[in-house]
Amino acid sequence: MKQPLILVACCALTACASSSGHPQDPLEPMNRVVFSFNDKADQYVLKPVAEGYRTITPQPVRTAVGNVFDNLRDVYSLANHALQLEGKKTATDVLRVSINSTFGLFGLIDLATPMGLPSYKATLGDTFAHYGWKQSSYLVIPLLGPSTVRDGTGMGLSFGYSSGSWVFQENRDAVAATILYGVGAREKLLGLDDTFSEAALDRYSYMRDGYLQYRNAKVGFTPPASQQNPDDDNIDDLVPEYMPATEPAAAVPQQPDASAPLAAAPAP
Amino acid sequence: MKKLFTTLLLMLGLSTPALAAGDSPVDVISNTSQNALDLLKKENGKNTAQVRKQVEDMVVPLFDFTRMTALAVGKDWRAATPAQQNQLAEQFQTLLVRTYSSTMTRFKSAQIDVKPNAQINNNGREAVVKSEVTLPGSGDKKNVMVDYTLYKGAQGWKIFNVSVEGASLVTIYRNQFGEEIRKNGVDGLIKLLKDKNQPGKPA
Repeated sequence: MKQPLILVACCALTACASSSGHPQDPLEPMNRVVFSFNDKADQYVLKPVAEGYRTITPQPVRTAVGNVFDNLRDVYSLANHALQLEGKKTATDVLRVSINSTFGLFGLIDLATPMGLPSYKATLGDTFAHYGWKQSSYLVIPLLGPSTVRDGTGMGLSFGYSSGSWVFQENRDAVAATILYGVGAREKLLGLDDTFSEAALDRYSYMRDGYLQYRNAKVGFTPPASQQNPDDDNIDDLVPEYMPATEPAAAVPQQPDASAPLAAAPAP
Repeated sequence: MKKLFTTLLLMLGLSTPALAAGDSPVDVISNTSQNALDLLKKENGKNTAQVRKQVEDMVVPLFDFTRMTALAVGKDWRAATPAQQNQLAEQFQTLLVRTYSSTMTRFKSAQIDVKPNAQINNNGREAVVKSEVTLPGSGDKKNVMVDYTLYKGAQGWKIFNVSVEGASLVTIYRNQFGEEIRKNGVDGLIKLLKDKNQPGKPA
């Protein structure tokens, strides 16, 4: 687990840079290769296994399995909130883990969320971002999918050092648990993959742009507008307030700005 | 059809999403999401297509697809002729409605909490309404943040951008559109969207 990630990270930091394209995706050629690999792996292995898992387990079982992993992630989150000196969120995580591990029967039941203790999962990548590493290149990790160099490095370090050894004594158990976790995570996404394919013109770039927007918003990074689209930000420049009606059938000509195609107002 | 639908809604005691000028952007979002959820709850596996159609008819007029398409396309929008802009908006609308219509039944049991304080920009002509969506029983306990950006035009407040957890469902297309325009021009993009929207064609 550790070595391939570090290998990827090294490659990410040094070679395979390209000049054109998305400013936050200098590794696009490599990323696209990994993306295609993941796609095939998903089509032939991950998705069928996740579907099988859904078939053989009832929802309460899947929820319980998900809760157990969620509880472990809360421990990881706790450590990271503590590293970020986020007092309140650390305390919330401590309470979540304590309650769910005891009254919640070793994490099988999530009692903390309905008690008003929300889960804010923090990772080592978030901790890096908290201390200033906000901008990071997009990185597609084999089998795991979209990430950034920062988040991938964080993941590699955390799992490299612990690899679940604080929970599982046998390496074999840790591997089995990781697989079960992955299958459970994939199961939750069943059905959404079709939407994704339907929505995207270029699936690679759709996923990348969505992921980067999401991740950048999360860590509070605003890409400089000048980098890519110097004058796109002001929508009013593109669509003037007094533009002529564009849809003759539905729009009322004497009204300015009648640009909504189907806006025939219903009777009040 | 429209009239029939309106009458039907009034009979059911539902108010249609008001387009009255006095409505605040928060009202627009909270009324519409409530009405949409009410409609979705009537879905029973047999009337899926009908319910989808009803929700679409209610929600679609609240969006300004021209403005939305301009935002998605970015600066190349200026290079497009009005006719091309119309075609782009039409195809983009078809793509978005088709995509999200097929997922809407997933949100049947959702709870939507629309935040009462909208963030007003641009001299009161633009508003960002924030909401939090919870999906009980999905095994996913994390709430999802959904933000709507609206602007005030002659027909009241219209939505032209939607962000989910900070990712915009509109500007996510900018690089894809830009790439195609760079390769095959605006007409190339129109053609690509048309092909994609062709019924029965694999995505």
